[in-house]
Amino acid sequence: MSRSRPRRHRTVGWILLLALVHLPAGAEPVTVFAAASLAGALRELWPRHRHPEVSLSFAGSSMLARQIDAGAPADLFICASQDWMDYLQARGRIDTTTRIDLLGNRLVIIAPRGEGFALRLQPDTDIGAAFEGRFAMGDPDHVPAGIYARQALRSLGWWPALAARLAPANDVRSALVWVERGECAAGIVYATDVASSRGVEVVAAIPDSLHAPIRYPAALVNHRSTPSARRWLDTLRSAAARAVFSRHGFTLLTAPE
Amino acid sequence: MLSPQEWDVLALSLRVALASVGLSLPPAIAMGWVLARREFRGKLLVDGLCHLPLVLPPVVTGYVLLLAFGRRGWFGPVLDALGVTLAFDWKGAVLASAVVAFPLALRAVRLAIEAVDPRLEGVARTLGAGPWRVFFTITLRLAAPGLWVGALLAFARSLGEFGATITFVANIAGQTRTIPSAIYTYLNQPGGEDAALRLVWVSVAVSLAALLGSEWAARRARGRQEMP
Repeated sequence: MSRSRPRRHRTVGWILLLALVHLPAGAEPVTVFAAASLAGALRELWPRHRHPEVSLSFAGSSMLARQIDAGAPADLFICASQDWMDYLQARGRIDTTTRIDLLGNRLVIIAPRGEGFALRLQPDTDIGAAFEGRFAMGDPDHVPAGIYARQALRSLGWWPALAARLAPANDVRSALVWVERGECAAGIVYATDVASSRGVEVVAAIPDSLHAPIRYPAALVNHRSTPSARRWLDTLRSAAARAVFSRHGFTLLTAPE
Repeated sequence: MLSPQEWDVLALSLRVALASVGLSLPPAIAMGWVLARREFRGKLLVDGLCHLPLVLPPVVTGYVLLLAFGRRGWFGPVLDALGVTLAFDWKGAVLASAVVAFPLALRAVRLAIEAVDPRLEGVARTLGAGPWRVFFTITLRLAAPGLWVGALLAFARSLGEFGATITFVANIAGQTRTIPSAIYTYLNQPGGEDAALRLVWVSVAVSLAALLGSEWAARRARGRQEMP
């Protein structure tokens, strides 16, 4: 007994030391709620094997905002729409001093690979005759990508011809799948979605002037706004993060550190 | 109380759920009889395949339906030749609901048929009734309460169908926006809580009505059997 106790202490000491060595200094666990369109980029930035302390949860911005409003244990929220960040801000759920516009995105009109068609982005283009079947995009009733897409189609004067032919998806990824599968001959998704797909081609890029600016705001959740969480938010503006985001097709809205 | 769009949602949901019962119940009865009364090689496999939609995540079922019955799907050309469109159409919502409801209806029907005493069928045969007549006047008649349970389960499952439907036929107002899709849409809009809650009450009311109706029908069917 008398000999085993110091040994046991030493074992505990080693375990503690190993734990300290293993975790990077100050890497407290952080839970990140992020819009589904960021999944690819954030998984690359914070792969699980290198950053086990980061828990990523991806879903539609609206669902995540409602979960945070209901008290979900998120530290950092990156949202695909200003509306839902405003919603949380109005309810006092985010630390407004930390809110930044992190990323921008663009919309593109796509077709299944090898089935692209010529399209002039002009009001006199007969969009209804340009393709057959339904037009895939996020549901303009609630999906941010669909709301921007409807604004663009209205600016082009194409909305009346397409409104009855929509295949409204519950997230922009489903719209991408329908076009990849050829179920829809055309659709609108984010430029970043196309970067991750081999099954579609871009028919036309939609100029930002046709819709409200696409912004991804990020902020810390109130009451969880710790120095450690703040460091994770700062990491998103590092050179490494910027490289990953631009590779995935996002535009960078923050100044380099 | 309800807005015109919400009435449309309710009407569409009832139409889809009733059509789904109509589509899933006849094969469930046929398959239920086969599984209850016949022994054959590979019966376990057939049983397992029939229950697949119960086990698979509905989103997977919906994706398989898209692969099979989409415009470019395996049966796309056949459907095209027949002039039938399923993807992004209310008929596709019926198919998706029927597929996920089928195993539930099948379980109820099979148990009901297994509970019918085969000797009664045997007696009817010796008295000269043909196999079809025995099936309809003895087997199904005696299994009727179980059929009502199967129909109710199929109806309830169809009314709540979301994953397979949204993947296969999207969420198109007036075509495929059933109660669950509409609730989902409202919850995704800032300020949509009230409309979502109204539809929640509507679905509670419809489900209760269906439950009571089917209980009443099953009792009537049981009561009729007990008459001499």
